[in-house]
Amino acid sequence: MSKIKNTDEGELAIVRAELAFQKEEKEKLANELIIARKELAFQKEEKGKRAAELGIANIELAFQKKEKGKRAEELGIANIELAYQDEEKGKRAEELGIANVELAFQDEEKGKRAAELGIANVELAFQDVEKGKRAAELGIANIELAFQDEEKGKRAAELIVANKELVFQNNEKEKRAAELGIANEELVFQNEEKEKRAAELIIANKELAFQNEEKEKRAAELSIANKELAFQNEEKEKRVTEKDKRAAELIVANKELAFQNEEKEKRAAELIIANKELVFQSEEKEKRAAELGIANKELAFQNEEKEKRAAELSIANKELAFQNEEKEKRAAELIIANKELAFQNEEKGKRAAELIIANKELLAFTYISSHDLQEPLRKIQTFATILLENETLTENGKYNFQRMQLAAGRMQQLIDDLLAFSRIATTELKFDKTDLKLIIEEVKAELKDTIQEKHATIEATELGTANIIAFQFRQLMYNLISNALKFSQPDVPSHIIIKSEIIKGNKSISEKLSMGKNYCHITVKDNGIGFESHFSERIFEVFQKLHGKEVYGGTGIGLAIVKKIVENHNGIIIATSELKKGATFDIYFPAD
Amino acid sequence: MNLKQLNILLADDDTDDCLFFKEAVEELLLPTHLTTVNDGEQLMQHLTHEVRAQNISPVLPDVLFLDINMPRKNGKECLAEMKLNSKLKHFPVIMFSTSYEKEVVNQLYKNGAHYFIRKPPEFLIFKKVIQQTLTLIALELPGDKTGNITQPERERFVLTVQNSLIDQNSI
Repeated sequence: MSKIKNTDEGELAIVRAELAFQKEEKEKLANELIIARKELAFQKEEKGKRAAELGIANIELAFQKKEKGKRAEELGIANIELAYQDEEKGKRAEELGIANVELAFQDEEKGKRAAELGIANVELAFQDVEKGKRAAELGIANIELAFQDEEKGKRAAELIVANKELVFQNNEKEKRAAELGIANEELVFQNEEKEKRAAELIIANKELAFQNEEKEKRAAELSIANKELAFQNEEKEKRVTEKDKRAAELIVANKELAFQNEEKEKRAAELIIANKELVFQSEEKEKRAAELGIANKELAFQNEEKEKRAAELSIANKELAFQNEEKEKRAAELIIANKELAFQNEEKGKRAAELIIANKELLAFTYISSHDLQEPLRKIQTFATILLENETLTENGKYNFQRMQLAAGRMQQLIDDLLAFSRIATTELKFDKTDLKLIIEEVKAELKDTIQEKHATIEATELGTANIIAFQFRQLMYNLISNALKFSQPDVPSHIIIKSEIIKGNKSISEKLSMGKNYCHITVKDNGIGFESHFSERIFEVFQKLHGKEVYGGTGIGLAIVKKIVENHNGIIIATSELKKGATFDIYFPAD
Repeated sequence: MNLKQLNILLADDDTDDCLFFKEAVEELLLPTHLTTVNDGEQLMQHLTHEVRAQNISPVLPDVLFLDINMPRKNGKECLAEMKLNSKLKHFPVIMFSTSYEKEVVNQLYKNGAHYFIRKPPEFLIFKKVIQQTLTLIALELPGDKTGNITQPERERFVLTVQNSLIDQNSI
């Protein structure tokens, strides 16, 4: 019950408090109302002010609306312009995209050009070889042409000679013909004579026959006369004077007979002479006939010869015509070859220019990359030393770090050697007449400590001067001599002989030398461990060693540098050796 | 699987790599016997010499790990020589190199090498590659030593290790 009462009292207190509170609130509200009314009045004032301001503001608003309209217009224009600019931006972006594609494409092309350059350079080298071949072929063709001209001259001379001979032979032929004519005339004449003689002979024979008839007549008359004589002798006795007449007639008849016998003998003698002469003339006729036969044969033979000459002449003429054609073909080919040569020279000039640029870029690249490569390497070496010094490591751990340091050291050496190699390959080549003894002295000074350590002797008395790139040649000698010292036999003091001489080029030394050209020949010979002869070319390859990394130090680039320097001097290098019998390096380069 | 000893021949001029290889092999559970030569000429002499007094042919390995860069005669030349020799072309040859060049790898595959491994710089991975390659080879070898082992396809030629699984990705 008390609890409820307490509760009622409590509630009352609460109600009272709430009432008092509400009174307070009501007073507060009344105050607030007063304040609110004041405020209202104030606000009315303000409202009036505001209305005035509103009026002003409305005017201003109207103005601003106008302005806004203007701005909206301008905005519209600006938006159009913006849209237009967006279009343009879009176009530019497209163009940029296209430009980027094109750039990428050009980069590709650049790469291709670089490849093509490489190919072009190979091709150029090949074309140079071809050019050399063409030049050689051209030289040969020219020699052949000169030779053919000589031959042509000879043929022409022979032709003149043949023509002279032909003329001469024609003259001879005419002489023979004339002689033949004369001989024929003589023959005709002799035939006439023969006929005359024959006629005379017939006459003589007739006369002889007649004379014989007469002789017989006389003989008959003589027998008759004798008979008559006998009869007359019979009659003589009857008539002496008739006998004397008859004797006188008989003497006359005998004289006449004797005379006729003489005549007969004369005729007979004449006949014999005439016969002899006939025989002789027959012989002469036969001789002439024989001579005629020979003369005809000779004529026939000369005609044959003439025809042969004529045939040879026509062949010679054809050949000449052919050679002239050939000469013209060669001349045309020469013109084409010259044009091609001129073009190739242009190309060569372009390639040479491109090569110079490429070399410069390569050198820059190599220099920069060797620097960039050396930085992390240095860090490895540095941290290795830090760890080795500051950390407590097991024996195995120390061993591993030392192996690491050795490897880093090798890399350092490799980078330095690569840089040296690329410098040798890309710097400009300036030749000077240099005393080789001086170069050797400089190298000996650089290698002083090693020379002392190996108790080495270097003999360099037979050395002259040569036209060389001094700083490269110093590098070459340094590499060769330091190799000779490095690869010495363990218990034999190193002895190195260096000499030079001028020789004439000779194919027996090497195919690459030109016959008869002056070459400077330098020999570097040592008494070291040598190498098997089948490695004589491998040792010049980059990074090639004949021993493991730990046996003899070095990166295997020394001889590659030597070979490159020799090539920069347009020369060749030949290595000869046998195991344990030392090594000899022979260098040949043009002396002029 | 061949339960007899696996005869491994390693040709590598680098002392450190030979040591790594030796450690990797020693940890294997397979029974193995490791011989090492240090350059190409030594390798060819080792493979072709005969014991003169007894006229016995040399013992050929079950697998050869061949480093490419060696003095006197390099790995490429040795591979070519071996594949031309009827007695030397039966065992698998696994090529080793510090660097990777696609052209070189294609050429090695063409010349008949069995696998190609680029030496990883991390030692543990290096060991793992060796071990897993040896296991793979042991599984591939025929029961007797007279049969030929077939060259894997080109896509499986280059071996790499990813995490703990041997992975034959093409690079």
